[in-house]
Amino acid sequence: MAVRERIGNMFRRAPRWTFIVTALALALIFPLLEQYGIIETLWLRLGTRTLVYVLLAVGLNLVLGETGLLHLGYVAFFAVGAYTTAILSSPRLGYHWNFWVIIALAMFLSMLFGFLIGMPTLRLRGDYLAIVTLAFGEITRMTFNNWEPVTNGPGGIPGIYPPNLFGWVVDKPGEFFYLLLAAVIVVVWLLNNLKASRIGRAWNALREDEIASHHSGVRPMQAKLLAVVLSSGVAGLAGAIFAYYQQFINPTYFLFMQSTIVVCMVVLGGMGSIPGAIMGAVVLDTTPELIRQTFTKWLPNAVGQDFLPGFQTALQQDFDRYRMLIFGIAIVLMVIFRPEGLLPNKLWRRQSHTEDPREQANTRQHLFDVEEGTQDLEA
Amino acid sequence: MWQGNTRKILALVLALSLAISMFGLVGCGDDDADSEETDSTGTESTMETIKIGVHTSLTGGLADYGFAAAEGLKLAAEDFSGFEIDGVTYEIELIIKDDKGEPAESPVVAQQLVDEGVVAVIGALTSGNTNAAAPIYQTAGIPLVSGSATRPDLTELGFENFFRTCLRDDLQGQAIGEWAIELGSEKVVVMDDRGDYSVALGDEVIKALEAGGAEVLRQEGQEGDVDFSAQVNNIKAFAPDAVIFTGYHREAGLLFKQLTEAGVEAQFMGGDGIKSNDIGDEAGGAANVEGTLSTFGGFAQENMPGYTAFADAFMEATGKDAGPYAENNYDALGAVVAAMELAGSTDGADIISSLSEINYDGVQGALTFDSMGDVAVPGGGGTELIPRFEYKSGVWEFMN
Repeated sequence: MAVRERIGNMFRRAPRWTFIVTALALALIFPLLEQYGIIETLWLRLGTRTLVYVLLAVGLNLVLGETGLLHLGYVAFFAVGAYTTAILSSPRLGYHWNFWVIIALAMFLSMLFGFLIGMPTLRLRGDYLAIVTLAFGEITRMTFNNWEPVTNGPGGIPGIYPPNLFGWVVDKPGEFFYLLLAAVIVVVWLLNNLKASRIGRAWNALREDEIASHHSGVRPMQAKLLAVVLSSGVAGLAGAIFAYYQQFINPTYFLFMQSTIVVCMVVLGGMGSIPGAIMGAVVLDTTPELIRQTFTKWLPNAVGQDFLPGFQTALQQDFDRYRMLIFGIAIVLMVIFRPEGLLPNKLWRRQSHTEDPREQANTRQHLFDVEEGTQDLEA
Repeated sequence: MWQGNTRKILALVLALSLAISMFGLVGCGDDDADSEETDSTGTESTMETIKIGVHTSLTGGLADYGFAAAEGLKLAAEDFSGFEIDGVTYEIELIIKDDKGEPAESPVVAQQLVDEGVVAVIGALTSGNTNAAAPIYQTAGIPLVSGSATRPDLTELGFENFFRTCLRDDLQGQAIGEWAIELGSEKVVVMDDRGDYSVALGDEVIKALEAGGAEVLRQEGQEGDVDFSAQVNNIKAFAPDAVIFTGYHREAGLLFKQLTEAGVEAQFMGGDGIKSNDIGDEAGGAANVEGTLSTFGGFAQENMPGYTAFADAFMEATGKDAGPYAENNYDALGAVVAAMELAGSTDGADIISSLSEINYDGVQGALTFDSMGDVAVPGGGGTELIPRFEYKSGVWEFMN
């Protein structure tokens, strides 16, 4: 216990910037590990995909975590961004537009799309909003699936050209990693500033109690719409880069399942917490592969070739079919034992452990309570 | 106190990591990243193991196809192990990887197989996942031979490392269309389920029908639909001689049932997607689909010289009937081995260049590839190669 507390204290007392810089430094070094042959290219490719999910999770966190809107059609905006790239930079229609123009257009179109969808749907609350956004997500996918003259329908668009940034042709996983990392840094920095601004407070207030915040001078519709439009822009950015990276896009990338996965990332990481969203994306996207490598490669290598021969071949050949099951069990355990998420927002953390006095003391919630006066209200 | 120490340690770690990364950025150009483990066993003995990747979908919606592919390949690996090049005997080790049937997972699996150092890859299972993975294999110079990716344009995208041992959908589509014309149909409904495979097949059917002078009405459903009343109304008003559904048997059964109930008297037809014996139950009774005609996307198994032996071996190994495209996957590995023997090398580039020259005798019969990477049939071969089936009292009967 003492050790645990000491480590806990160390982490709690270390200033926040140290974590940020450490994470950044690790991210910067990561592609070099591949270059020196320390890790396999697989991990770099996986890491690059994870960064796409990080962008998505951070973007959705704005809507789901900060503003408290259950948005189940988030992948629609991702699709808009991806198809913008695919259509304007591939042999499909013969366009080869500039990278920056496409990125700007992808973000603009997905934000416009977010605005159009947000206008009618944000008047709904809770479950109704979830149902309507889910439907919009599916409608978007089906539109891309059926709009054959432009999107080539279910066949998808192959052969997307690599982006060209002022003469730097990005076509290796490592280069995409740095490109995405830059995008993540900019987006996180902007959203983090927004979170601390007036509108950020308004979002949090809306999440806690819409009626009360309305009476305190927040315009719910405006604030919610802004959150949805901004997060759509982030998804559009992620989609545009993702399409470049994959070099191929078809409608099955944008199934409802993808929206669900991003929602899981935000919830698992800790709603309303940007580090949580990042953590959730990293953990959820890499765990299935980690499990697969553990059971098919590292574990058999560690226990040796002679250890239960049948067991080993079973691991190597059949494990692929069971890894998702283990993954599911891990998530269920997680939800039971740490419902507030991996790196939770302090407020949520306290709410999930109301009976544990240690958690109460560990958070700075009491300050928040005093500031906001919720203690008085509850009493 | 603590904070001061932590800060110092963190600062040190950061400075170090930054230094390493700077060093790396400057000096990355001349560093050879690939430090592959050298095979120490090859020098003394004349036995070597080569790795062949299997890029398939063991989970997800097409898991049964993936299972058939993986099991067919395991049989092939046993059969073909022990071939010789320059006095060295090669054992085949299969590295089987699952892409869950998701295109976003496909590049990750591809990279994994590349990292493993496979000399060739059999896969991917579907056309979409093949499209998503092909650029990675191409960059790595690894041949990719699919036994089940049937989308016509796959071999036309400029991947010189891509080959397939299955027939293209356009041949089957053409065959269905011609068959309908042969039966004397003048008005035909073509319906798809908006899926990748189904739409491409439907397009080809329509081409053949229009070439044969038939009047065509196109209809579409969605995979997973249960109610087709809108389409049934359209079809009834059109009064067709034949209704061709290019999707899968579940929707086909429901559609044909609803058409029968609505009193539409037309010849029901479909591609290999409907060729499942379950269609009778799905249509609410075999009587509703009695006399339905279907084709298949490969050579007739009944005409394949090695199919009976292969199916028996498959049954013995797995206790199940040989699933769809199992024999095509078996032949894909056979073709790769034949190419290695012909080239006298296990190098990716050599395999790719000799794949188009092999003449391999497999389960499906004599097999060669054309310049695009498609199966070339001796003597040209046209739609007469596509087998025809009729659904009679609960089973699909082979017709020619």
